[in-house]
Amino acid sequence: MFAYIVRRLLYAIPILLGTTFILFLLFNVVPGDPALQLAGKHATPEVIQTIRAELGLDKPWYGQYFDMLRQLATFDFGRSYWTKQKITDMIVAGAGTSFSLGFPAFIISTSISLVIGLFIALYRGTIIDKTIVAFSVAAQSVSLLVYILAGQYLLAYQWGLFPISGYDPGMIERWQYLVLPILIFVFLSVAPELRFYRTIFLDELYQDYVRTARSKGLGTKTVMLRHVLKNAMIPILTNLVISIPFLILGSVLIESFFQIPGLGDLIVKAIANNDRPVLVSMTVLGTFAYIIFNLLSDILYAMVDPRVQLK
Amino acid sequence: MSSISFSKTTRYLTGLALVLGLVSMSACTGSKGGAKGVLKLPAAADAKSLDPAMADDLYTNEAVSLIYEGLVEYEYLKRPHQLRPLIAEAMPTVSADGLVYTFKIKKGVKFTDSAHFEGGKGRDVTAQDFIYSFMRIADPKINSGGFWIFDGKIKGLNEWRDKNKDAANVDYASIPDGLKALDDSTLQITLVNPYPQLLFVLAMSYGAVVPREVVEKLGKDFGNNPVGTGPYILDRWMRGSKISYVRNPNYAHSTYPTEAEEGDDPALLADAGKKLPLMDRIELSIFTESQPLWLNFLSGQLDRAGIPKDNFESVIDTGTNNLKKEFVDKGMVLSIAPSPDVTYTAFNMLDPFIKKAGPKFRQAIALAGDTKDTLKVFYNNRGIPAHTPVPPGLAGYDENFINPYQRFDLEAAKKLLAEAGYPGGKGVPVLQYEIGQGAESRQMAEDFQRRMDKLGIKIQINVNQFSELLSKIDQKKAMMWGVAWGADYPDAENFLQLLYGPNAAPGPNGANYNNPEYNKLFEQMRYMQDSPERRQIIRRMMEIFATDMPWLPGIHRVTYGLSQKWLQNYKPGFMGGHIGKFLRVNDDLKGK
Repeated sequence: MFAYIVRRLLYAIPILLGTTFILFLLFNVVPGDPALQLAGKHATPEVIQTIRAELGLDKPWYGQYFDMLRQLATFDFGRSYWTKQKITDMIVAGAGTSFSLGFPAFIISTSISLVIGLFIALYRGTIIDKTIVAFSVAAQSVSLLVYILAGQYLLAYQWGLFPISGYDPGMIERWQYLVLPILIFVFLSVAPELRFYRTIFLDELYQDYVRTARSKGLGTKTVMLRHVLKNAMIPILTNLVISIPFLILGSVLIESFFQIPGLGDLIVKAIANNDRPVLVSMTVLGTFAYIIFNLLSDILYAMVDPRVQLK
Repeated sequence: MSSISFSKTTRYLTGLALVLGLVSMSACTGSKGGAKGVLKLPAAADAKSLDPAMADDLYTNEAVSLIYEGLVEYEYLKRPHQLRPLIAEAMPTVSADGLVYTFKIKKGVKFTDSAHFEGGKGRDVTAQDFIYSFMRIADPKINSGGFWIFDGKIKGLNEWRDKNKDAANVDYASIPDGLKALDDSTLQITLVNPYPQLLFVLAMSYGAVVPREVVEKLGKDFGNNPVGTGPYILDRWMRGSKISYVRNPNYAHSTYPTEAEEGDDPALLADAGKKLPLMDRIELSIFTESQPLWLNFLSGQLDRAGIPKDNFESVIDTGTNNLKKEFVDKGMVLSIAPSPDVTYTAFNMLDPFIKKAGPKFRQAIALAGDTKDTLKVFYNNRGIPAHTPVPPGLAGYDENFINPYQRFDLEAAKKLLAEAGYPGGKGVPVLQYEIGQGAESRQMAEDFQRRMDKLGIKIQINVNQFSELLSKIDQKKAMMWGVAWGADYPDAENFLQLLYGPNAAPGPNGANYNNPEYNKLFEQMRYMQDSPERRQIIRRMMEIFATDMPWLPGIHRVTYGLSQKWLQNYKPGFMGGHIGKFLRVNDDLKGK
């Protein structure tokens, strides 16, 4: 397995190189000079030129690309063009915040979806199943913005159950601001997830081993929890593990409406300000996280299913 | 076994519900009352840095101005704007030729205590600190967006900048001739030419004083660890969410003004002569979305807010332009103030077709637009049609000047278009109209497109990222585009320079307008103080503008805001940074 992990990590290198190259091409194909934006409304050719030199934008394209690779290889992501902050500090602060919002929402929504998915799969075709599926389809059809606007207006403003918006980085204080965004996140995630899990469980319910288990005289709960759930773990794990990088990257709209200073907000601002070093760092880290969690899900396959061997 | 696992689940869920319940209850306790002595205001965007050299945008400038100060500041209650000394002991003495300004610096003005000072104690501000701070604005390695305030103005400063451009280390030991410390508390600035706007620019954040040793110690991190002389100290900065300030305990050199304007509410002078700041703490919450801003204001979590466009008609009676009764009953106060800005659509006067088409073509386009309708549809009538680039409230604004093409008259437009040689729009290529991103820009551009269609002119709308739009303008590749300009200081010169030939792109004259008579008049008026003679020159410049129409002038925006009943001393339309130090929250009223 060790050799497999090393090999997969080595595969990551060309993927990361490809990602950075495409990103670099995009920066050079899409017009727009960051120096102009930074120079402000009283820009002069001299000021623009000085800024271009400071940012290294006056170098030939291969020089700029090499600079970018060198920074990434040394994990020195440099500073934001716009705020002059160290990008590492920006990412660490934002990732922790986004994770505080995304992770509890992920755990709660996954737990609820798995339980309801298992339940309605068991009672497939009944009025309960049909009603829950119909509600899920309806819930999925509504825009995230509607949940945010309605949740913020009714639960926070009208009923005063939560703060309307805001954030406090304190380990305890932050939660009062995160409950409502987490609830919205959960509400939004449960509908598609439970339909996904229901489909997976239904696939399993028609397998021979389920019939065998039942004919052995095992109870429904035992069949569902010990056999069906276990066998359904591979697609479930894939779904779960691949979702983790997105928890860190944050939810742009939720963070924006609730004034939560996470990475979603950081990315939106970096795009608006043409803040290339931040965009490069975020893209590369996102790609790397995706590769790592993909690898992790493969390793987990082998752990939950002895038939899977990593070579 | 399964029954046990289900009961565990039930227990966990009950526990979770309890935790959520407790957290929610704690959230509810933070309603309207809150801590005393705190001023809570919104900001539409975060500061990019808390370094005054980086205060290039409105939000950064406001955030910085609570921490840093310069020699002079704007009078809070006077309109049109006037200056008063701040760190300077008095207004400067100026030599007869208008070239030498001498400032005396107040004794005992200190930088705030900081761990970055030796011993952790802030020290006195000296004339040398101002020299360093001004040189820093010109430092080619700092790349401050504020260099324009001194560019070509102070004797020897440009030469010093050029000399240090390629140097490994910028030489602060060789001081330009135009900056002299006669002693620790006397600063002398010598100019190349008269520059009547000097005092205005010194009131901007770029003119603020910074402590050299802290700047040099922190380098690029100085913007995150500000140390100034201002009324507040940074307490906590949650980027993208909130900036919190606490009172500078050593602040003693500024008091609330003792004079207001005729017609001002006498309550504005309730704190006359008192030491500033009036509040212990200021919290600036950053709202990029309007709903949370508005709901926070309605629930009393903010002391003041602008009225979002979508809520405007539920707050203002559009018939009378007054606040609706339900808000009046809550004691809220409406403020309406003109913004010193102008929106406009510029033509690139170097574009081959625009150049060939001539002024009648541009006049026709102006007549086919309907600014009053645009105001109604897109701005809830929050603005006035612009006849010239100069907005109201600035020295040089002439409310009697009427631009004959700032009106809607489709027939006259068609006639002029025919006279320009393009009857019914025949022979006019598809005009390329560049806009920035955003639904509203798009809708306004489509409205313009529909209006031009009636004239027989086709418009192609090109949506750009902001930097892309700037690139097209700066490289003189854009044909037409819509933008706005906000005042840097209260003088017409700041707007008239937008059409001065030598300021062509990538300078602020993106339209690349170059009229020799206009240029000559600009060179004359820029060195003059406000006077009837200067106003006469400006009027002639406006006439030239209205004939050539290098822009389609849009509107001067008007801001509508609401204050809670407990917010005191608010006067709208202030240009000089953040007004936080003048405001007071009446906690007794707030608690009721």
